[in-house]
Amino acid sequence: MEISRISIILIMGLMAFTVRALPQVFFVGRKFPDSLERLLRYLSYAFICSIIAVTLFMTGGNFEMRAAPSRAVALALAIVVAYTTRSAVSGMLAGMLLVLMLSWLW
Amino acid sequence: MRFALRFRQGMKAAIPIWIAFVPSSLAWGIAAQAHGMKFEEVVLMSAWVYSGPAQFAVLGPLAEGKSSLQVLVAGFLMNLRFLPMSTALAPYFHGVGRLPLLLSSHVVSASSFIVPYLQFQKERQHAAEDPGFDEATEGYGNLAFFLGVGGSSFLVWVIGSAFGYAIALGFPAGFDEALKFILPGYFAGLLAVEMRGWAMPVVCLAALVAAVPGALASPGWGWLLTASLVGVLVWGLEQWKFRASALS
Repeated sequence: MEISRISIILIMGLMAFTVRALPQVFFVGRKFPDSLERLLRYLSYAFICSIIAVTLFMTGGNFEMRAAPSRAVALALAIVVAYTTRSAVSGMLAGMLLVLMLSWLW
Repeated sequence: MRFALRFRQGMKAAIPIWIAFVPSSLAWGIAAQAHGMKFEEVVLMSAWVYSGPAQFAVLGPLAEGKSSLQVLVAGFLMNLRFLPMSTALAPYFHGVGRLPLLLSSHVVSASSFIVPYLQFQKERQHAAEDPGFDEATEGYGNLAFFLGVGGSSFLVWVIGSAFGYAIALGFPAGFDEALKFILPGYFAGLLAVEMRGWAMPVVCLAALVAAVPGALASPGWGWLLTASLVGVLVWGLEQWKFRASALS
């Protein structure tokens, strides 16, 4: 069953609120084991990277062969700039400018 | 009086977060507009979900009308990171009523967690040397500080998103590639800034490479499956390495 976008946002917010609020009710004074905390972190990183790849290189279930090289180069630049400047926004802006220039050139 | 003072202290401590939130929230608003979201959806999502990474994560699938279950699972998994953050803050709100705790937990975010958490740790160390320290009273003071950080950052995020949406409406044609890059570029930047150790780069690279074949095999769930596999495998490898080094 498919539901409206507003409903999805409302359910998503409710789930986020539950995750935030539950520890305030049940986990007061407790700590997660270190290994579980790491697993959550790695899953989170893996999801983020998968989303980067799918958003950047795919449209409607198809691989965007023509645009992929320039986007990959811009992504690499964004990573290098963000890493060296320690600023995610600077990296994003650098990559954005490069991909824009490349799209105008080709 | 003390509550107001602590709230103001929290707001002052949150200024760097506001500065970081302005471009991020603008970027989210612009990206959401570029993905065809409506203004009210953008504001509602920023105010009710209030989670930059999760909002960016579900933007593509949501705009493309992908399975609602897929969007919800992705969003939920992204927001699981709030669990340990909220858990870590909980002991500092000793003595605070359940309702204020529940309401204020809405503004728990990565940024609004780190600043109060470090501040509370520092204050607790000082309090250990103070015989007149009352933990029950301090719980409300800590909550005020947390709300000063979290509440003000929340407002910056929501208002910034709305502005970003309005700015994007004025973007001329031909900027599609740049707008499409905002979401993955911002994510990549966030990860690059946080990059440390060996496991994180391995997780990121493997997930990045495996996602497209996964999505080609199954557009809905393929990338979620490959990401889960990568996360669990690297974690398992790390656990195995820990055990091996403990034995040797």
